[in-house]
Amino acid sequence: MRAEITHRYGDLLVHDGLRLAIRENEFLCICGPSGCGKTTLLDIFAGIVKPSAGEVLIDGEQADPKRHNISFVFQEASTLPWLDVRANIGTGLRIKKRPKAEIGRKVDDIIGVVGLRGFESYYPHQLSGGMKQRVSIARAFATDADLVLMDEPFVSLDQPTREKMQREVLSIWEHRRRTIVFVTHNLEEAVFLGDRVIMLSTKPARIVADIPVDLPRPRNPVSADFTALRARCANLLQEMHADDASQESASKHEA
Amino acid sequence: MSTASLAGRWAGGRQFRPVVLNVVSIVAFLVVWHFASALVNSPFFPPPYKIVQAFVNLAQHGDTMGNSLWAHCWASLYRVLVGFAAGVVLGVPLGLLMGLMPGFYAATRSIVEPFRFIPPIAWIPLAIIFFSGLPRFAFLIFIGSFFPVFTSTLVGVSRVEQIHRKVAVVYGASRFYVLTHIVLPTVLPDIMGGMRVALGAAWLTIVAAELSGGTSIGLGRMMVNYAELLQISEIVVGMVLIGALGFAMNEILLSIERRLFRWRWQVTL
Repeated sequence: MRAEITHRYGDLLVHDGLRLAIRENEFLCICGPSGCGKTTLLDIFAGIVKPSAGEVLIDGEQADPKRHNISFVFQEASTLPWLDVRANIGTGLRIKKRPKAEIGRKVDDIIGVVGLRGFESYYPHQLSGGMKQRVSIARAFATDADLVLMDEPFVSLDQPTREKMQREVLSIWEHRRRTIVFVTHNLEEAVFLGDRVIMLSTKPARIVADIPVDLPRPRNPVSADFTALRARCANLLQEMHADDASQESASKHEA
Repeated sequence: MSTASLAGRWAGGRQFRPVVLNVVSIVAFLVVWHFASALVNSPFFPPPYKIVQAFVNLAQHGDTMGNSLWAHCWASLYRVLVGFAAGVVLGVPLGLLMGLMPGFYAATRSIVEPFRFIPPIAWIPLAIIFFSGLPRFAFLIFIGSFFPVFTSTLVGVSRVEQIHRKVAVVYGASRFYVLTHIVLPTVLPDIMGGMRVALGAAWLTIVAAELSGGTSIGLGRMMVNYAELLQISEIVVGMVLIGALGFAMNEILLSIERRLFRWRWQVTL
């Protein structure tokens, strides 16, 4: 997938000539300060928001949810309350009009993978936040998506659940390779999950760093290599904030 | 499985208790009525058993004009069903349309909203001039049931969550799919609630319409006939039947709701 994006929201420049290429089956993490337009970036990748200028190409074609197999895991709860777990997970497959037998088989498979066996006929209001998010992840992986977009999917979960879910997503991804773009503002999460970490600046967002993570998997968050890389990312983020601050004080001086 | 059967037994227990309590309430009501009537001792305040006698008499022999009680019931019920169906069939799509096109609603608000405050009874004079027979009654009931359905559908559309629409769109759903699989399930509880309100309005309207004449059959008509004869018991039979029919229809709608909306959580305080 390749993207070249400039996006404005009214007068506000959100993305300033972002250019990136994502390899097939790559696990790419995008990190950046809050409010830098990460969610909008994913909407543009998914083809549901058109950038003001530029384009997103998947296999050389303009990204389009009707043509490409794109999945999205949202930050907020996105299970449909009137469907039970099984029907929720099958939503993407039903929209794509897959045959009934295939839907049944694929939903059944993924229910096992995400550990929701026994909860098939539960409704979302009967599930915890972590389980609901697992339903959303299962829905995203049930379709054989070319591209899975994940927008801070674990931000509302407590630390142990978050760590468990991170390992689960990695194991799903290792079983069924696909391209994942994972947005987070948690550096440790990015370094733990990604093949590559891209750091965005504050608005207007530009890519300030593109860091390959070539640590062997499974990764150990307390190993020296891991903490070194995480520190490198943290320093970059700090420099960025320092730059912002100095720019701000400079403009105040001028005024 | 064990939790499911346990839940079933719970529901069974919960249904059984209200039935008993309601039977007790009815008996108590009848007893109070009976003694109040005995105390007043007037032909204008018949005790409950006189109502039962009148009912049995009407059911066996029909009214003074030879129309059977069932013909009266069926005539009113049929008119209600036709008008009510028309109200739902027009109210739901128009509510959806206006809800999904807020600009359209905003532009026509000053026409649509004032109509809501013209009670169906105020339409009776026009209906008498323009229609006769079934269309007259169906039209008036339509007026009475359209707005509750229309308004609650309109309000329901604003409950559709952006994130649910996004879920469907991301997987490549068409606008029609979003309408039928995201908007409609969200609005359906409001539509059903509106239908139950509309049902009340429909029964209110049918009796008023039948009282105003133009027909020799229908529960409202039957009550007017007996009012002219000062036969209180037969009038009360008509009232009780209207209450019972309305109650039965409401219960049917409620049981459909319970079946349809198992996904909704119950708020208890």
